[in-house]
Amino acid sequence: MSDASLIDELPGELLMWVLIVSELLVFGAGMIAFMGVRLTDPAGFAEAQSHLHRTGAAFNTAVLVTSGYLAAQALHWRQVARRAAARMALIGAALLGVVFLIIKGTEYADKMAQGINYETHPFFLFYYLLTGFHAAHVLAGVGILLLVSWRDDARNIEAGAQFWHMVDLVWIMLFPVIYLLG
Amino acid sequence: MGDNTLTRAWLALLGLSVGSAVLTLLPVPAAVMGGGILLLALIKTRVILAQYLDLARSPAWLRGFTMVLTGFSVLIFALYLV
Repeated sequence: MSDASLIDELPGELLMWVLIVSELLVFGAGMIAFMGVRLTDPAGFAEAQSHLHRTGAAFNTAVLVTSGYLAAQALHWRQVARRAAARMALIGAALLGVVFLIIKGTEYADKMAQGINYETHPFFLFYYLLTGFHAAHVLAGVGILLLVSWRDDARNIEAGAQFWHMVDLVWIMLFPVIYLLG
Repeated sequence: MGDNTLTRAWLALLGLSVGSAVLTLLPVPAAVMGGGILLLALIKTRVILAQYLDLARSPAWLRGFTMVLTGFSVLIFALYLV
């Protein structure tokens, strides 16, 4: 198989895949750095991690994968000309993104109330950097989903859904590394 | 990509997430828990790539992404065990 036909196999726009790979590499490097710094103080990292709200974060995983499901369904429905259903699914996906951000915001507020900030321990520097950068992507994704629910050409929806699935993928790896591997 | 395939993928993702939560509650050695959690996360990423991102139709790309993510998970697990 030639390189050109291999690239043609990718669903959607090539540039979206370049973005997906770039984001995975950036977050992956961040997670590797986190695990590397953890080696300098495993007990301190485990203690710091015990302050996190695992249940809320686990619930957020269910929220994001459900939101991703709606975004994927939206593309399918738009392709079979169920335009209204596709729009509703995209708006639902965006609303679940907002739910994710509210839960994340509550978590940050709780940390602040405990006097925990990025200077408290290196763990929290990575925690705020990685989860905050991810939350910024969720915020951007909510805007993109709403935009493509309005400009609902199938190619637009596909690109918007791909961005959203990338956000989902990053969280699936970030959650165990930051919240569970103590 | 049909409705049923996506629905099955979504249910699988929810089930795998519940599996991770249950694993953290079990009295198992840290290495087993860490390895199990990372393995479940890896399977979840594959489901998202194959079904949500539709790479099931591009097996070569799906294989490539899976290999890289597997390498990443192994590295994270190794750092966890040190």
